[in-house]
Amino acid sequence: MRRLFVLVSLLLTLIVLAEKPIKIGAILPLSDITGRQAANAMKLAVKEINDAGGVLGRPIELIVMDDEMKPEKGAAAVDKLATVDKVDFFVGGMSSSVHLAQIPILKKYKKITVWIGAASYKCEEAVGADSDWYFHLHPWDYLQGESYAIGWKAITEKYPQVKIEKIFLAYEEGAFGTSSFKSYQDEFELAKQGTGVWTGLMKDLKGGPFKSAALGGGDYRAMLLQAKQYDPDLFIWAGYDADAIPMLSQAKEIGFSPKLFVGAPPGWPADFGKNPLSNGVVLYGMWAPALKDVSAIAKHFWDAYVQEFNEEPATYFAPLGYTNIYFLIEAIKKAGSIDDKAVIQALREIEYESPVGGVLKISPSRIIKNQGFRAQKILQWQNGVQHVIWPFEYATANLIYPFPGWSTK
Amino acid sequence: MKTLSIIAVLALAIILPFIADIYLIHVVSTIMIFMCLALSWDMMLRTGQLSFGTAGFFGLGAYAAIIAVDDFNVNPVMSIFVGAVFAALTSFGLGIAVLKLREMYFAITTLALTSVFTVLARNLSDLTGGAAGKILFNAIFDGDPKKTYWLILSFTIVVIVLSEIFERTRVKYAISSIRNDELVAKSSGINIFKYLLIVFVITSAIQGAAGAIYAQQYAFVEPDSTFSANFLLLPIAMALVGGIYSTIGPIVGALVLGFTSEYLKLLMPYGHLIIYGIIIVLTVIFLRKGVYGTIMEKIRSK
Repeated sequence: MRRLFVLVSLLLTLIVLAEKPIKIGAILPLSDITGRQAANAMKLAVKEINDAGGVLGRPIELIVMDDEMKPEKGAAAVDKLATVDKVDFFVGGMSSSVHLAQIPILKKYKKITVWIGAASYKCEEAVGADSDWYFHLHPWDYLQGESYAIGWKAITEKYPQVKIEKIFLAYEEGAFGTSSFKSYQDEFELAKQGTGVWTGLMKDLKGGPFKSAALGGGDYRAMLLQAKQYDPDLFIWAGYDADAIPMLSQAKEIGFSPKLFVGAPPGWPADFGKNPLSNGVVLYGMWAPALKDVSAIAKHFWDAYVQEFNEEPATYFAPLGYTNIYFLIEAIKKAGSIDDKAVIQALREIEYESPVGGVLKISPSRIIKNQGFRAQKILQWQNGVQHVIWPFEYATANLIYPFPGWSTK
Repeated sequence: MKTLSIIAVLALAIILPFIADIYLIHVVSTIMIFMCLALSWDMMLRTGQLSFGTAGFFGLGAYAAIIAVDDFNVNPVMSIFVGAVFAALTSFGLGIAVLKLREMYFAITTLALTSVFTVLARNLSDLTGGAAGKILFNAIFDGDPKKTYWLILSFTIVVIVLSEIFERTRVKYAISSIRNDELVAKSSGINIFKYLLIVFVITSAIQGAAGAIYAQQYAFVEPDSTFSANFLLLPIAMALVGGIYSTIGPIVGALVLGFTSEYLKLLMPYGHLIIYGIIIVLTVIFLRKGVYGTIMEKIRSK
């Protein structure tokens, strides 16, 4: 009788332990579309995993905290998830400045963190080389810059008619634009010395500042006239979504039609593709909805997201959020436990085909040991749809070159 | 009774790290930083001058502290004094020029100062790290939340005492008379410019020290977030919700809005900011004297 009692107690304990959820704490800006859709995508991934029986026989519990895009709120969220909710892992992320405030606190807990936001190289410096527990999936800003050069080089090889020697960078005069221009200037200096990724591509560089419409500006004519006079092979503007349509309208007004018209805002206006001026505009991004036509996992993600939330994913943070959860869970599966050492080892070894487009594999970056994606994609608006032009293995259309200009718009 | 209550609150505040979890300590630390900003904004308002320079001096102090530690190996605690002194000296120089302005002209000029500081921080790259900002590899006290809390608590007590000095000494009569009627104040022999300058320098020093502590707590500065309008608008909202022209008003406002914001978020992860905004608007519309002012009015009328 006593033996039976012990056996039953042991069994019950095992059942309770087996059903104890693995807790994942996500920190995202929920009032912003990037954070909201990333949170949705994470919930979708957790639902799929739990419906399939969870991982290691345990369900996954996702606890989402809003960082409100404020550093102090993002930092407090780390403390709350670690000490009140007692999560096993941290995921999420978007803004670099919020992350800078979180890093000293993450370092205190040293829990495995798989981060999808924060591109600033300052975050990498703050994390440091010794943080084995830290995994960063979003490409750092300098990796993005390098990937554009690699992409344009590949494009000039595939399309011999494409020539990129003179580059004009129009940049908004705030932090985002000025730092973009600074990094192009640095790359140009390296290219002049015959080193750096832009060597052979960037033979001349000129910049022109503008006040973004998002910050009370919106008149780009003087800068566009300067660019027109310079006659660049590649015109690129680094501003915000509010600049996209007025920039094109004013370029049309003054008859400025460069061979490549590239926009590099962090986000595009809703329905930008429906505007006829958008046709032929090139952009950089990690993902495009058209990927669902060439990637099975991207199609699965798209369909499941639309079915679950009755809206289309509109930002790359949606497939990135989905990737965030699956990548971690695949590693836990491989590790066979949630022991830190085993999971870290597994995260470094696994390869995950992501709906973002590409296989996610960890490799070192300049400082940290665990960097995920290393490149952005070169995309182009074609008849209202964002198409992938490069990398060619994920291309959904050929490049329209030169930029079609304004006569038919 | 009043003294006993103050001692009890102070004792509770001191022992909080022993009885509360780290999350609550973090939330209270943030509330105290904003409380100090709200008090300093209100102290300036008591002179009749509406200042929009809170975020500017906050950012200035933050940058001064981080640069002091990173470039000049100053002790992190000492760097807070550096932040305060730097903000005070800057405000003294600027105050000589801008304190001749009144009402909206003064308000807009102080707002413009924040923009000027931001542009400088973004462009003096060698010193400030430019658009990417500057980081420290260790937060103050190696990120120990309890020690950081006590540091912020000590600073908050100093600010409350300063505010009370403004309320209880002859400074109060001077600045109140400036606010009510400058002509009468001048004819009473009050040196208006001197008092305005003193208050402007002291409140800017408080804002600079608050920025320095915040920067040391999170070990970074970055132009957009360090000079964020959040460090101007939220303290104003706290003072308005609690009640202006007093010490207790901004304290009450900071506690009400600080806890409401954090716990609304836990109740409703989505949409909590809308409710939070509505609470602020309704309080300002229907409680014109703020929460504290309205309660006191009700008590007095009974």
